[in-house]
Amino acid sequence: MEFDDLQRAWQAQNPAAQVTIKADLLLKEVRRNERSFWSTIFWRDVREVSAAVFLTAWWSYDGWRHHAWPYFLCALICAGVGVFMLVDRAAQKKTQPTFNGTLKSCLDASLAQVTHQIWLLKNVFWWYLLPLLVASAISMSYENLHMRHFDKGAAVGAMLAALLVACFFRWVYRLNQAAVARRLDPRREELEALLASLR
Amino acid sequence: MTSREREAIFRRWFEEHLGLMLKVVRGCTATPQDQDDLLQDILLQLWSSIPSFRSEAKETTWIYRVAFNTAMAWRRGERRRRESHELFARYDLSPQLQPSHVDALPAQEIVEKLYAAIRELPKVDASLALMQLDGLSYQEMAEVLGISENYIGVKLTRIRKQLAEQLKGATDGIR
Repeated sequence: MEFDDLQRAWQAQNPAAQVTIKADLLLKEVRRNERSFWSTIFWRDVREVSAAVFLTAWWSYDGWRHHAWPYFLCALICAGVGVFMLVDRAAQKKTQPTFNGTLKSCLDASLAQVTHQIWLLKNVFWWYLLPLLVASAISMSYENLHMRHFDKGAAVGAMLAALLVACFFRWVYRLNQAAVARRLDPRREELEALLASLR
Repeated sequence: MTSREREAIFRRWFEEHLGLMLKVVRGCTATPQDQDDLLQDILLQLWSSIPSFRSEAKETTWIYRVAFNTAMAWRRGERRRRESHELFARYDLSPQLQPSHVDALPAQEIVEKLYAAIRELPKVDASLALMQLDGLSYQEMAEVLGISENYIGVKLTRIRKQLAEQLKGATDGIR
């Protein structure tokens, strides 16, 4: 059988006759999906920035209450992390793939986005964890320096808190690296293969 | 663009080009669940794309772009974004042919086998095969994919041979 025969058989099909669509329900569904999509994006952004915002507020309040500049420094570091995340998100929104562009441009944009996401997660220690660690260290050192009497209980508590923070940060770091290995690296390879097949 | 205009365009595209979208969906996914999922994703992207649509652009090219780009980004088993899974469509996804076609049943089997063969191709080749079977010109394909017509020609020669070869054994018993 030649390709022309296949094409004739293909063009004789009428796939639209196979589907019965309730048009009003479809429109309602598409609108709801659109709202749901943007709401998911919004709450994801809020979730990611909320830790930095919470810590900024917390240390600002401590700084104001104790009139201590190191707490304001901690608040400033946390605010910096939050601003970095917001600026990065805004910059990424400008370069996100448009589904009405050519396949090549869409793949290029998707690959750039995934590569950037990999870079962010691989370097999460430097732009997220380290600043928060520094802020925690400043805060703890300041509190220890200003203790009037040595309190064994408080010292043990501080050590336990430091251990807990270290464990939490390690968990966050590993979570990010696992996301890169399980989700983003395969996606990048897939996009690279698709782009290679267009070259 | 007002909400009413957007809705009117969407309804018209949907009525006129649903067949095109279903072909892409069936060429990229095998199970009814995946087909439903991908079709809804394509329709969502199509709805989102309407405000940036300019009338000088060709509608079929636009819809092919949205459909293929969505199909390339779509991944099986990925958690669905949708809140609701209320089905707006009732499917009978076995291929049906125009009543005027003489050898309706054998041709129907050929189309079924063609879909299966297309799904076996690499994604970009599958998109080219779908457009070629639909009778798009090289220029139109180049506008959808963003690659040169020469390259499309080279690729299609290989894809046509591959499909004919794959379907050779399968269609021998049909006619």
